[in-house]
Amino acid sequence: MNITSQMSHALVVFVSAIFTQNILLSYFLGLCPFIGVSREVKTSFGLGLAVIFVMTSTCLLNWVAYQVVLEPLGLHFFRFIMFIIIIAAFVQFVEMVIERYSPSLYQRLGIFLPLITVNCAILGASLFMVIRDYSFVATVGYGLGSGIGWFLAIMAMAGIRQRLTNERIPRGLQGPGITLIIAGLMALAFIGFTGVLQGN
Amino acid sequence: MIREKPWFAVAYMFLVTVFFSSIVIGLTQLTRERVEANERLAFERAVLSVLPDIRIEEMTRPKIHNMFVETIEEPNESSRNAYVARRHGQAAAYVLPISGQGFWAPIKGVIGIETDRRTITGVAFYEQKETPGLGAEITKAPFRNQFEGKVIWPHGDPIEIKRPGETLGENEVHAVTGATQTSNRLEIIINKALERWRDQSAGEGGGDQ
Amino acid sequence: MRPIGAENRKLIAEGLWQSNPVFKQVLGICSTLAVTNLVLNTVVMCVALIFTLSLSAFTVAVLRTLTPRNIRMMVETLIIAFYVIIVDILLKAYWPEMSSSLGPYVGLIITNCIIMGRCEACANANPSGKALLDGLFNALGYSFVLLIVAGLRELFGMGTFLGLTVPYFSGPYWDKWIIMVMPPGAFFVLAIVVWVFRSIQTAKENKAK
Repeated sequence: MNITSQMSHALVVFVSAIFTQNILLSYFLGLCPFIGVSREVKTSFGLGLAVIFVMTSTCLLNWVAYQVVLEPLGLHFFRFIMFIIIIAAFVQFVEMVIERYSPSLYQRLGIFLPLITVNCAILGASLFMVIRDYSFVATVGYGLGSGIGWFLAIMAMAGIRQRLTNERIPRGLQGPGITLIIAGLMALAFIGFTGVLQGN
Repeated sequence: MIREKPWFAVAYMFLVTVFFSSIVIGLTQLTRERVEANERLAFERAVLSVLPDIRIEEMTRPKIHNMFVETIEEPNESSRNAYVARRHGQAAAYVLPISGQGFWAPIKGVIGIETDRRTITGVAFYEQKETPGLGAEITKAPFRNQFEGKVIWPHGDPIEIKRPGETLGENEVHAVTGATQTSNRLEIIINKALERWRDQSAGEGGGDQ
Repeated sequence: MRPIGAENRKLIAEGLWQSNPVFKQVLGICSTLAVTNLVLNTVVMCVALIFTLSLSAFTVAVLRTLTPRNIRMMVETLIIAFYVIIVDILLKAYWPEMSSSLGPYVGLIITNCIIMGRCEACANANPSGKALLDGLFNALGYSFVLLIVAGLRELFGMGTFLGLTVPYFSGPYWDKWIIMVMPPGAFFVLAIVVWVFRSIQTAKENKAK
């Protein structure tokens, strides 16, 4: 595959990762923080940005690790362990850097960074990247697109929930219940994007 | 305390990783043959199931393997990368492998073609990880049976997968309801393989030994 | 054997009902929600989760005095990954069709928030027996709720239960609700199940007051 067809493939992957194959609404990944944190737009914004950054970076790091270490040695089944370690180490590293260079940002992010380590979407994205055998450029598109897709979903959810704060919701539905229903409606809406792209 | 020495963390991590990894590696080795046998059998079963007059459900594992060995010939030049099913020495059908990206993971299957090189005898899948009840329905009889008797179109898309409810032409089948993504991808997978097969066939005259 | 002490009984009640992972804490649903469109697949996933959660909690508790604090999350992840890989290998070798159906989700049990959650909250600071019980009953609490979700989805969406056709729902008078088989259906059914259980829980608490 020459570089231009690689780039156009990457672009298709990028767009579909946001809309037609949204990692949260189509693949169910990253639900826990999605339901737990999406109450406020501000917090969701911060978490969403952090997810974009971590997802893109770890997808790339894991691509390198897979191509350079695991593939040549034939240790495919190690990918679970290796990817998780890379993700955990990367998040730990980012946390240390932020703490050192921007204590105010560190304060604001608070619990988010460790929360991201267990975000199944991060590991899931890397696993899919391997299964689909993406090139380096496509991995960039995929990691970035998946992160942005997740970000969009949580922002939309937070926006909707903030509007609902003064509505009367039945006691049993408050919190996760209504969030799941909204998620269902969003998933339904996103299915409408399916016909937009063909072939990646 | 030894726990707090800096080198301990690294050594501990290393030891724990080695310990658990060796168990995993050991187990993988132990089951390796079985896993490969399963995969081989799935492939052989798929190939045989697209041939006409074969009742695959009634056959045991050894029977499937034996029949495969007896009937199926490896791909060669004249069959253009398709397996050849032989009966009494004559080519009875071609079996073309198809593979590509599904919604979740790669889909691998085979498509059976008659000796006239345009009529399809059937389609079967031996590897897929699509959503059960949705995309995975492509492995079930109602979807697969549609392909019997369909014809590879001589130009443009060899096969088209249409929305459920639309009237079908000679080279068209219905998609699985609710599984648009898988159906779209499957169409691409099938057509990529069939197009190559069809265009290579067109380069030469008909008939082969 | 000592009779189940009051402390352990409390643990069991917590895991199954009071702090039920699904309807009370709403944790760890990502890995299983996708497969809840078929009861059989959900059963297998839940068994995998029970196995993984109980044994991981047990192992983490056994190693808790040795593990340095600053790498404890990586070690926990390693242990969880170990048990999940074992499940994956066993499925691939002895039940390949199910392994295909479950696809990538078995691997994703590793990031299931409940397992990590219980390891951090309980297994790190408790004796191994207690951690095992805690893990086991949290997993059982998780399973029974998801099985209800799966039962509803398979029944309304495909008219079957555990693959067996159910009289009214697969007949001509019931139009299958395809949405039940697709992602939005999962969200809606889970929302309703959460609603029902939480309402029951609140009613019980009010009565107890």
